Amino acid sequence: MIHNTGSSPECEGHNYSATAAGTTSGDGEIKAQDRLLPIANVGRIMKQILPPNAKISKEAKETMQECVSEFISFVTAEATDKCQKEKRKTVNGDDVCWALGTLGFDDYAGPLKRYLHKYRELGEKAANSANNNKDSNTDVRDEPSNYRSDQERNQPLALLPLKFNVLEKNNNSNSRPF
Amino acid sequence: MRQAGTFSGILSGGISGRTGPHSLPLARIKKIMKKSGEDVKMISGEAPIVFSKACELFIEELTLRSWMMTLEGKRRTLHKDDVASAVMTTDIFDFLADMVSDSGNGRVIPEAIEEGMVVET
Repeated sequence: MIHNTGSSPECEGHNYSATAAGTTSGDGEIKAQDRLLPIANVGRIMKQILPPNAKISKEAKETMQECVSEFISFVTAEATDKCQKEKRKTVNGDDVCWALGTLGFDDYAGPLKRYLHKYRELGEKAANSANNNKDSNTDVRDEPSNYRSDQERNQPLALLPLKFNVLEKNNNSNSRPF
Repeated sequence: MRQAGTFSGILSGGISGRTGPHSLPLARIKKIMKKSGEDVKMISGEAPIVFSKACELFIEELTLRSWMMTLEGKRRTLHKDDVASAVMTTDIFDFLADMVSDSGNGRVIPEAIEEGMVVET
């Protein structure tokens, strides 16, 4: 066959072999892709947090993929443990938040709890307005300041003890438009 | 003078204002959760959503810490070794220590993780 869609062997998703990984190197490779979040998504998040002139090697992205999966497994295991002890079958959002706090990611736990409550509240509101037209704001779990979506985003990275002035020194004047 | 523009993502605490569509696929997250152990029975719909946000924060933190290593090496390209260094120097990333120091090419075989084996590649 002379119909090569791309000259690079790294071309993913355009392969005739039609595996998710784009390669046919055996079961191990396909299973690995199943266990990882897509490299494009991971890479995008990495790129957005870095200065515009930063480059990221493919290997670094792959390593990050695996670290994230390990993170999910690690936290889930802790949350599952808690559910088992409390004789519950379903791992819910609160369990995940709790597990994050327990494992040292307490900086995430706070903003995530607010994120979760907001999500639940939106769900309730949507359900209520679908059923009847009354404004049923009976859920008072949230503090008022959390109605602003900006608020919840102020927290997570403020706690990073990194010295941003080091980064500023090397920055260009360009900023990334969101 | 602070260049807020570049880091506006940080100052506003993360990725662009999305609470709607999530930047990580929920089905895949759920799959990974299920594979974390035999005991995982049922997962509520909101758990992957919480994780999608948590993973964003995780990626952001690990990336930034790795980038500090890149800068220390006076480079502009973030390499796998920078990630490894960031993991080694951050307590809460201890659970990743084996993963970053292990394989040569970064691919770890899932079955090996489950059995607790160390795979030399």
